[in-house]
Amino acid sequence: MSVSFAVFAVLNIGFVLLVSPLFMSLIKIVKARAQGRRGPRLLQTYYNLAKLLRKETIYSPVSSWVMRATPYVCLSMAVVAALFVPLLYIPEPVAGFGNVILFLYLLGLARFFTALSGLDAGSTFGGMSSSRDMSLAAVIEPTSIVVMAALAVVARSLNFLEIARNNAGMLFPASATMILIGISLFIILVVETGRIPVDNPETHLELTMVHEGMVLEQSGRNLAMMEYAGAIKQTLFIAIMVSVLMPFGPVTELSAAGVLFAMGLFVVKGSVVSVILGLFESSIAKMRFFSLPNLFIIAYFFSVLTIFIEVFA
Amino acid sequence: MIEAPFVDGIVRFIFVAIVITAVFLISARSLPFLLQTYRLQSLLLAALAVAIFFAEGSTVLLWIAALTVASKVLVIPYFIGEIQERISIRRDLEFRYLAPASSILVSIALIVGVYLSLGNILSPVHADAEPIFFFGAVIGISLMLMGMLVLFSRKKAITKVLGYLSMENGVLIFGICVTELPFIMDVMIMIDLIILVLLTTILTVGIDSTIEVYEEKIRRYSLWNSLWKAREDAP
Repeated sequence: MSVSFAVFAVLNIGFVLLVSPLFMSLIKIVKARAQGRRGPRLLQTYYNLAKLLRKETIYSPVSSWVMRATPYVCLSMAVVAALFVPLLYIPEPVAGFGNVILFLYLLGLARFFTALSGLDAGSTFGGMSSSRDMSLAAVIEPTSIVVMAALAVVARSLNFLEIARNNAGMLFPASATMILIGISLFIILVVETGRIPVDNPETHLELTMVHEGMVLEQSGRNLAMMEYAGAIKQTLFIAIMVSVLMPFGPVTELSAAGVLFAMGLFVVKGSVVSVILGLFESSIAKMRFFSLPNLFIIAYFFSVLTIFIEVFA
Repeated sequence: MIEAPFVDGIVRFIFVAIVITAVFLISARSLPFLLQTYRLQSLLLAALAVAIFFAEGSTVLLWIAALTVASKVLVIPYFIGEIQERISIRRDLEFRYLAPASSILVSIALIVGVYLSLGNILSPVHADAEPIFFFGAVIGISLMLMGMLVLFSRKKAITKVLGYLSMENGVLIFGICVTELPFIMDVMIMIDLIILVLLTTILTVGIDSTIEVYEEKIRRYSLWNSLWKAREDAP
């Protein structure tokens, strides 16, 4: 591993950890404003995490090691996945890092453990949510893979670092098909982070819970880790979208000024996506569980079309 | 004239946007949204004509763009909007044979099918020389077929009209990209469309219903009374 990659690792992970809760709060604020409420403070998610970290962790008496291990697995998977998506500085690709498929499977592993922990605590809500999440996963996974395949076909690479490197310095998406990919990625972002048409992250209602139900039994530090992992995952998907649709910003040569500029620019771009996400969430209603494939199929259609356009036209 | 690669990029972008609108026409349920989508699609068509004008310089394209904006972006959506106001129905939830998900899958198959068959017909002339126009032809015919899909998968008459209108958009794309569509043809088609929409405006009595109920309504409002009588009297 070269020095530049080590610098990249520290920078990227540090920055993701720093900025992820911000976007969470921002989405909440946008949603609150859309409903005529004031909403939380911009730093509220940081305070929440700090509060949770200080609290005691309680385990259900029937739970096993899965319950204890899951938060660590989720957070570490999210942090490792953060090595795959460049936000500020794009290093030379290092073997294996940046691979699209590995990225998806890391997140898949986190999802698997979350579902297991939902079952593990022995509460009825957990089991129900795990079953829902796994049914969703069975539908969304092929779609995610087709979307990433389309991205790989358009960008001529299976590596996020390389894709970002090729796009770096461009003001606009490299080709028209990137817009199709952008839409698909937006849908994947909504689904993977459990946003409104798919799942309502704010309620604890039996009818709507998917992700919430699985972390219902987590408490204290463990809950903080789960929430943090969710925030990081969201930032990573935002970063992938941004690197496709608004590729300017990240630097390819290390310099303090460049990295600082990239930081500012990423916060701005991430905020734009968060605001769009918040508005999108406020403008539509939660979908019926069985009509969700209608949403995925749009992402699937655009990805297949992208592959088709790239290969044939 | 503007550089070809730049125009190519814009034309590609417009094609992609047109496909996006087509997908929403197939799957959206809110009528005002459908109408806005149709309006956007027509605007994109006008933009396409202007973009190709910059590449080729034939003034007919500008006329087509102007006509498209006047009729399909302003007049026709205005009339349909009026109808919507009057029937005060905002959502079309009824699908006949295909739900949105399956019709989107069918449209993937349609596009691939169109590509393969057009590839055989046009390949020696167009496909290699001007891939962008070949792509346009594929999008045009696919849009036509997707409009047809809307026609037979939706139940409400007003959505069917939008499907028909988007079919015509497909014809226009094909005309712009592959053959030089005579301007007079375009005017004729436009007049046809306006008459179609006017007719539906006049017949608002039944436009909020399915075709089956439509007959009932015409009977109830005692339109064409004699016609029904004649049919019932027949052996």
